[in-house]
Amino acid sequence: MGDWLAGLPLWWGKVIAVVFFLAIAVWAWRRPRAYIFKGAPDDRGWRDLRVWASVAMVIQILIYMAF
Amino acid sequence: MTIGGIDLFIVIAYLVAIPIFGFYFKKYVKTEEDYFLAGRMLPWWVISMSIIGTNIGAYDYMGAAGGAYRFGIAQANYEWIGAVPAMILSALLFVPYYWKAGVYTVPEFLGRRYNLAVRVIQALLWGLFLACVLGVFFWAAGLMLNEYLGIPVWVSLLLTAVIVGIYTVTGGLAAVAMTDVVQLLVMFIGGIALTVLGLWTVGGWSGLVESITPTHPNHFKLFLPLDDPTIPWLGMILGLAFVLSPAWWCCHQAIIQRTLGARSEWDAKAGMLFAAFPKMFIPVLVVLPGLLALSLNPNLTGPEMDRAFPWLIRNLLPAGLAGLVFAAFMAALISSVDSTLNSAATVWTRDIYQRFFVKNASDRHYLKVGRVLTLVFVLWAIAFAPVTTKFPGIYVAMQSLLSIFQGPTFAITLLGIGWSRATQWGGLFGLLAGVAISSTLYFAAGMSFLYVAWWSFVGALIVNILISLMTKPEPASKLEGLVYGLVMRNGEIQEILSDRAEGGE
Repeated sequence: MGDWLAGLPLWWGKVIAVVFFLAIAVWAWRRPRAYIFKGAPDDRGWRDLRVWASVAMVIQILIYMAF
Repeated sequence: MTIGGIDLFIVIAYLVAIPIFGFYFKKYVKTEEDYFLAGRMLPWWVISMSIIGTNIGAYDYMGAAGGAYRFGIAQANYEWIGAVPAMILSALLFVPYYWKAGVYTVPEFLGRRYNLAVRVIQALLWGLFLACVLGVFFWAAGLMLNEYLGIPVWVSLLLTAVIVGIYTVTGGLAAVAMTDVVQLLVMFIGGIALTVLGLWTVGGWSGLVESITPTHPNHFKLFLPLDDPTIPWLGMILGLAFVLSPAWWCCHQAIIQRTLGARSEWDAKAGMLFAAFPKMFIPVLVVLPGLLALSLNPNLTGPEMDRAFPWLIRNLLPAGLAGLVFAAFMAALISSVDSTLNSAATVWTRDIYQRFFVKNASDRHYLKVGRVLTLVFVLWAIAFAPVTTKFPGIYVAMQSLLSIFQGPTFAITLLGIGWSRATQWGGLFGLLAGVAISSTLYFAAGMSFLYVAWWSFVGALIVNILISLMTKPEPASKLEGLVYGLVMRNGEIQEILSDRAEGGE
């Protein structure tokens, strides 16, 4: 790694991590609804996997903000 | 220390019940598909629990607790940023395509997307990797049983082989997945009991922090400085979060195989995605015990740190609870070993034996071969287990083995699904170049496995793109159903693929 990388402060790690989690959540929400529910027996709200993904990412953001 | 009384009863009851329960599913195995893919009947919640049971093994209890003792809560990165985002990526991008393709293995999918050479290389790599992993698992079991039960390591290896072999050889993936469900429950009950008692002993969370922070100021920070020799924060993000973790969750045969046995595409996706929730809880079971051991006994040094978990059991738990936690450890071990055995047999049967040695034989023949190969891998694991002592830490050994070819594998799989212009030659040379880069960096340059993973991924990606642009594009008929954009834009193809997958073709 270059010298400039060695000079990066520790908090950059948290910023990159949070941006990464947000990007994953946004990417999940950009999947078409039909694609998400493909193969599901019904389209009830709890089967929306985009919601599951978002909840998981919110939990991750809270953890990485805390530690 | 040896166990007795109620502890011994709990352990024996558990070790007897699991193979009996697993053996029950033998009656459902009539065909090769029943054996390797559970007849494509698994619901999402079984897939989720089986994925975590497969993922959390003996090395987590031993290695992750040891890692937490050494590095602190940063070890939890392997369960959080090093898992959860990749599980979402896997669930919503990779798993649907594997499932729709109706394949049994990840190498089989790559063979369809690229060419036979890629499939063979991947099959050999996975075959060897899974075999090595079995050795790591078995050795971790040997250490634990030696520490806790006081029996010789070789006896514990044989005991493990018998217990796991009975139902894995006979019942295949259905037996493995269903026993994983039970074993995950045991793991959580035992793990939570240990953690709660440990926290109570050290004075709660605040007591834990106050006892460790003065001597280990970074032990409650998720990211360690860049000059940390083992897990610097940039390496955790570039190597672990961006490469090793997606490679594991999107391309690992033992993980993916559960989703291939799903009863529908939604169950396959939901199974992988829901597994992220118990996964987030895993540090409570495997990382906190390492910190608790450090708080109670800060004098462990060198390889002794890998024994932080058994030390905790031996010195903290009362009668009854010790047996339960020990059963939880065995559950973690067995649920990983059985899955790895099943996947190793699947790869060798489908991608090697069926492709090169005996084509077009009867379904019953391949079923028999799968069972024989499972037994062969049990014997291999016993023989290979002592070799793992040459590595400095169990968990690091595991990740080191992964990093050699996980980066290149993820690179070609990502391009294979995400970029229709990727050609068979781009995939092949990208894979070869990536493995060459990782081998050189790891063995010759001695680079950290986190950076090895990153650079081998980047190298494989670049070579794949360059070679693909220089070679003839693949015909559209070959790519149908295998590349994300093409399927997303074509509802008709989606229907055809779903019908094909449901028909098991």
